[in-house]
Amino acid sequence: MSKGVFLIARNNGYIDYVKQAVFLAKRIKRHLGVSVSIATDSVDYLKDTYGTADFDKIIQLEWTDGTNLRYFFDGSLFKKTASFKNSNRASVYDMSPYDETLLMDTDYIISNDLLKSCFDSKSDLMLYKRSDDIAKVREEDEFKTISNTSVDFYWATVVFFRKNKTNEVFFNLISHIEKEWNHYRRVYQINSSLFRNDFAFSIAVHIMNGFQPGDFVQELPGSMMYTIDKDLLWQLKDDNMMFLVEKKDYLGEYTAIQTSGQSIHVMNKTSLSRIIDEEFAND
Amino acid sequence: MDERLEKALDFSNYMLTLNNQKRLLAEKYQEDLIYFHNGSQFTITRELITFVSAMLTADQDEIVITDDNNIPCMITNIEEFYSEIINNYTSASNDYYTKYLDLKKNRSVEKLVDYE
Repeated sequence: MSKGVFLIARNNGYIDYVKQAVFLAKRIKRHLGVSVSIATDSVDYLKDTYGTADFDKIIQLEWTDGTNLRYFFDGSLFKKTASFKNSNRASVYDMSPYDETLLMDTDYIISNDLLKSCFDSKSDLMLYKRSDDIAKVREEDEFKTISNTSVDFYWATVVFFRKNKTNEVFFNLISHIEKEWNHYRRVYQINSSLFRNDFAFSIAVHIMNGFQPGDFVQELPGSMMYTIDKDLLWQLKDDNMMFLVEKKDYLGEYTAIQTSGQSIHVMNKTSLSRIIDEEFAND
Repeated sequence: MDERLEKALDFSNYMLTLNNQKRLLAEKYQEDLIYFHNGSQFTITRELITFVSAMLTADQDEIVITDDNNIPCMITNIEEFYSEIINNYTSASNDYYTKYLDLKKNRSVEKLVDYE
């Protein structure tokens, strides 16, 4: 059975997701030792700027102007509005060249080999449900359920799946939820109209479980560790990262935190971009 | 600022950072305790070790244990399984212990986060 990691990178004029994907692909090869494929709407940019050596297969996506707008924070004192092109994630089921795929966001910084075990797992579909904010000074309820009165939250940041009939139904259901988002967000009591893949995956899991908690999906090993975009990634040396995390109730003040050998979802894409530039400059 | 308050705030900042690093180290330890066997995932606990040891003592040929996802897994070679979980547990615990001691030695925020 073929296996590999699949990344999606759609640039928006502010964040260079292609650069993040190249950076992540190198780390994936080092830690997980599997092939990496990418789907992007910026194939020429990828070829001209970074080359294609890090990817097994490159899939061209159609360029679209994103209609989802959101704030991108860079620490708690700076923010910029930009488009957020997160649609069609469910089509990864058809796009992936692998029988066993680990789908990953480009801002998930792999620093250990824990996820390698997925490919040997008995489970055909795995997501993260448990998560930990590395700062531990903020409410984490928004990542426990998709709204105060709704169902369990599952992260779409990292998804492992094998191609089979059931998972095809699951991914088709996510496409349907995305298409009928305004209906589903009301049924599941989500106030924001912004489409989020985490929500769509969570709703699909709930439906596939027979509209109740269940074990349709298994949990990925460990927990999804993350920092939000109001924190700053300050330093990266091999598998050690130093973050400045926002202090509770002190706007613009930070506490330093160092992680070692832990994979982290870095939501501050701007500070991640600065660190990647430093890394590439040192290579 | 009053010097006494300044020193107290410095220490408070140090303790905040120390506690954060201790927490992250504990989380890393939990990750290191994860063990994979025949496609199943087990978090090695003292309870798991004791149970497997008891099964070994009782001369069982094979046992069924539910993994972290509540999926039952048949262990056909209990001796090998026991040996591997003991090795992983010892290695992860020793690493945790060493790093914890290192952490406690650092008396400044800069050293705690290894900032250059």
